[in-house]
Amino acid sequence: MKRNRSMVVAFALPGTLLFLVTMVYPIVRTVFMSFFSIQEITDSVDKWKFNGIENYVSLMKNSLYQASWINLAKIFLIGGVITLGISLLLAVILKNGVRGRGFFQAAIYLPNVISAVAMATMWIQYIFNPSYGFLTKFFSALHLDSLAGIQWLGGDFKFWALLISYCFGMIGHFMLIWVSGIERIGIDYYEAAAIDGANKVKQFLYITLPLLKGIFRTNIIMWSISVSGFFIWSKLFSPISADTSTVVPMVYMYDKLFGAENVDEIRRDAGIAAAVGVMLCLFIVFIFTVVNRLIKDDDLEF
Amino acid sequence: MWKKNKEQSVNPFNLKKELALAPGYLVLMTWVGFTAIILIWVIAASLSTTGDIFRGTIFEFSSGLHFENYSRVWVASNVSVYFMNSLLYAVVSCALLILVCAPYSYVLQRFKFPGSGAIKTMLAATTGVPVIMVIIPLYMIIARAGLLRDEISNRIVLIALFVATKIPYTTIFLMAYFENISRSYEEAAAIDGCHPIKAFWKIVFPMAQGGLITVTIFNFVNVWNEYFLSLLFVNSEKLRPVALGLFSMINGMQYSGDWCGLFAAVIIVFLPTFILYIALSKYIVGGLTGGVKG
Repeated sequence: MKRNRSMVVAFALPGTLLFLVTMVYPIVRTVFMSFFSIQEITDSVDKWKFNGIENYVSLMKNSLYQASWINLAKIFLIGGVITLGISLLLAVILKNGVRGRGFFQAAIYLPNVISAVAMATMWIQYIFNPSYGFLTKFFSALHLDSLAGIQWLGGDFKFWALLISYCFGMIGHFMLIWVSGIERIGIDYYEAAAIDGANKVKQFLYITLPLLKGIFRTNIIMWSISVSGFFIWSKLFSPISADTSTVVPMVYMYDKLFGAENVDEIRRDAGIAAAVGVMLCLFIVFIFTVVNRLIKDDDLEF
Repeated sequence: MWKKNKEQSVNPFNLKKELALAPGYLVLMTWVGFTAIILIWVIAASLSTTGDIFRGTIFEFSSGLHFENYSRVWVASNVSVYFMNSLLYAVVSCALLILVCAPYSYVLQRFKFPGSGAIKTMLAATTGVPVIMVIIPLYMIIARAGLLRDEISNRIVLIALFVATKIPYTTIFLMAYFENISRSYEEAAAIDGCHPIKAFWKIVFPMAQGGLITVTIFNFVNVWNEYFLSLLFVNSEKLRPVALGLFSMINGMQYSGDWCGLFAAVIIVFLPTFILYIALSKYIVGGLTGGVKG
């Protein structure tokens, strides 16, 4: 088909310009800024002080920042196993011929369309509430008083409460991706295996899992992108100030950018905030590279 | 006998098979049941009183259904303002995104031109870049230009940001749909003397309807629920979208103590995307399961 110059210009120019100005340029500039000390975010360039990799060095030494990465790593690893595991389980159940599949699928995906603030409010104010909450009522009805007495929103349990409620919402999304992967595996594989006497578990281990490798890789990368943007859930569980048990890099960055009300340790610096952003990007690139190395595309054709 | 997967669900009832599936049903029922408990409890709480919530007697409705919780937060807690703001932001952003990204995605998919390959790679790469990588310089420029001081320019800034941050995703998403539309339609139109720009809007654009609707739903849900960008760029209470407004209500709870009102606000915030989802879930499920490459 002939290329029409005026159309290409008219159609490609607005998108490209917007994309360059609002995405590409800021990304480059953020990387650049991460090597400077910038007291106020609105400071002009001549007030920036170049300090090389000092931002990164001081970040690594900061205990709150370290805590934020430990939390992120826990969310990525433990939350990843929970989310990807349960979502795969649900997908396999759905694809095993249960009735009402469309309904179950839609109901499990539902939390994804609800505002995170509303979702987290339901969890915090109802499920985890210590006086009238679901868990307290549920466990005391079963006479498991030690479990009923857990203060989910305080101390050691806060992180786990945060993690469980976050994963609950994410599972539906990954479930649908698994379903689409399983859908592409021909049913003839399963029928042939069934004739050879393989039970459901064996079929899952030797057919479904190996053929889902590509989806598995995509899901891990998508999970790393999701958790790197972890912010609002942490803010809702610790609304006033960054709490070591729930702080994540995005929260730390936000406090670095605008200052935290009552954490003296955090001094405003837009350069350091930029460095946090760069490190989050590197985290995604790292996961991407590792996953692509570990899970190679092989010649499985299906 | 090579049956398609979908036909499984219309098989006649077979007790042995259903029994084998029992553990699966149990898991699904528990999961969905738990979700339902949360929603039903929150709806009941939003119609009861704060006293009933703390006594654990919300399902008794001893003093009737309190629909006034809704009217109270709608007016007094400014939920109506947040609601209208979110509606405005979401509708305008979604329309602009289609207007910019549909033609953009179309030329990128159909033609090779200088830089088109690089643009496609960069678009794909930036879908994975966390939003904090772009907001610091943008905040710097926008705040220094004084664009956050004025109400109207602040609104424009917000919508522009919602649009900008969703360009990569929307463009890439639509490319898959244009790929499935045969070029013969445009070729036929060209033979009839139709200008390619006109051919796009009159012929190809309507044919991509499914993709346009799907991506608009995703964008709408995203902008409606958006929190981080608004937190940074909203300068006055009057401009807050629902997520930000709800968050400020939660923080004010310890002073107001209006718990049933809070749950009513949660339901109000939740309702538009919920209704959209119920009405259009086939597009959402189809969009997620169709466009993914392994």
